[in-house]
Amino acid sequence: MTATATTAATPDTPTTTRARHRRDWSAIWLVTRKDLTAVRRSKAIMVPMTLVPIVLLVGLPIGLGLFARSAPTETVTNALSSPMVKELVKPILSLPAREQIVVLVLGYILSPLLLVIPLMVSAALAADAFAGEKERRTLESLMYLPISDRDLFLAKVLSAFLPALSITWLGAIVYAIVSNIVAWPVMHRVFVPFTQWLAVIVWVAPAVALLALGLLVIVSGRSKTTQEANQLGVVVILPLIFLAAGQASALLLAPVPVVLAFGAVIWALALTLVVVNGRRFTRDRLATSS
Amino acid sequence: MGNAIETHELSRSFASGPALDGLSLVVEPGEVLALLGPNGAGKTTTVRLLNGVLSPDRGWSRVLGRDPVADGDEVRRHTGVLTENAGLDDRLTTRENLLFTARIRGFSPDAAKRRVDDLLERFGMDERADDLTQGFSTGQRKRVALARALLHDPEVLFLDEPTSGLDPAGTRDVIDLIQSLAGEGRTIVLATHFLGEAGRLADRMAVLHHGHLRAFGRPDELAAEIWQGIGAALDLGAPATAETLAALAAVPGVTETERSPDGARLRVADREVLPRAVAAMVGRGVPVYEVASRAPSLEDVYFAIEARILAEHGTAATDGFLHSPTAAEATP
Repeated sequence: MTATATTAATPDTPTTTRARHRRDWSAIWLVTRKDLTAVRRSKAIMVPMTLVPIVLLVGLPIGLGLFARSAPTETVTNALSSPMVKELVKPILSLPAREQIVVLVLGYILSPLLLVIPLMVSAALAADAFAGEKERRTLESLMYLPISDRDLFLAKVLSAFLPALSITWLGAIVYAIVSNIVAWPVMHRVFVPFTQWLAVIVWVAPAVALLALGLLVIVSGRSKTTQEANQLGVVVILPLIFLAAGQASALLLAPVPVVLAFGAVIWALALTLVVVNGRRFTRDRLATSS
Repeated sequence: MGNAIETHELSRSFASGPALDGLSLVVEPGEVLALLGPNGAGKTTTVRLLNGVLSPDRGWSRVLGRDPVADGDEVRRHTGVLTENAGLDDRLTTRENLLFTARIRGFSPDAAKRRVDDLLERFGMDERADDLTQGFSTGQRKRVALARALLHDPEVLFLDEPTSGLDPAGTRDVIDLIQSLAGEGRTIVLATHFLGEAGRLADRMAVLHHGHLRAFGRPDELAAEIWQGIGAALDLGAPATAETLAALAAVPGVTETERSPDGARLRVADREVLPRAVAAMVGRGVPVYEVASRAPSLEDVYFAIEARILAEHGTAATDGFLHSPTAAEATP
């Protein structure tokens, strides 16, 4: 019995280089939209993605804002003379003490938490993008579709980036509204947004979301389950969260060109990571890591 | 018209070792090929390589004349794959799962909707069209996945373990569906370790073992290479005694004898031997109720090949199979 089989005319030595493809935006958008629909129906993702921003951007400003607004004068004076906030209050020294404490709490101390939102949402969605597909055993059927590796990667990045950005921006609007309402009896004017705050939200926050995604898609692609991706993701993302929450106050005090330059550096890092990962992303790698 | 599929020395290794080693075969248009072998034989790897999901370490392949490595998207545009796990997104409805695939495959929104509706009706899933696929039975999931694989009317259909996890009724339904697809002249590659379905559906069989192609051809061709002559079954009303078997073995032209529940199974040089065997029985006063020549089935051929592999390796070659063949099973 023979174990070999073919004797047909053999073609020339096959081409082994992959053809360059133009972006198929229609396919990219279809995958992104499918993922967004699926995420919207996932309680495991939607509950934390809704609750955390509500706590950070509504609960905290209401609680701390009310406290700042109604704290005894002596407490306010002591707080403003603390060495820890000395630098933060420098730009607002001309304001009355009561206004200073409100701007300090709502403008400089709490609002940097907005940068945690894109990091958190990116982490949750990036984990779902690849590891979640593997866990649900839907990745293989996706790999048999006529969509190029690059387009698939881009679609997955977008399906995490767009919600991260939307939630951040929506959160920023909500935060600004809540802060101004809470502070109105003291401030009698709209004090959020201010220029640096706007620059951080519009320019830096998207870059931070993309940077987190650039890091987390690697983790997600190599993890077998969402839980594993989340656990590894926390290790990667926690330093960024601390950095964002810790340093964003300083960013809000810096001149606008410095904020823009800082954002540009983050964008450059994020884009480099995404491009490098996009080039390294292949079905083969994904299939063999499943 | 060219070959539907052609591979030459196609090989792929993973960290755990070679998954496919030097696969060379040709599948003609409209043919149903059964890719057989135990778990880990290389069947799924072959399907992935032929669809450009994996790249080979060595060798090459062509699907409908296209190279899956260089032109994977184009290959995937013309193939449909039913994966072992249906791979439906449980957070989407049946219709949404299918519409997504249809749109990715280039259907306009209206055309996609029409095609999806047609297939849902054909596969008896129209009643569940707007239900989330979460909670569907394995059979229902397979139906939806099969509908998805057929959305674009692919020229080549890869079915990876299409009946795994199905109950007998579900298995019969899916096999009937595949049979109707094969009747449409579609090229089908059926990767399975269930021999019954392969036997009913396949024109040719390729047996993989530890990534090596151990046999390739039509079951009758392979049978002719394995066994000389033809097989026959004698109905004697009871299992043959040792004396009866000895008498049958003494008939010129009888090459093998074996006891069966209702008599004996023989292998004879040609059909002219059968009357002599019957005469020998009648001469000894043993009643003969029926004589039937028996062509070896795909299952018989497969187990004979497995038995050879077992003999060569001296180890269990049938890991993952429902049962191991005995020497008797290996003789049709």
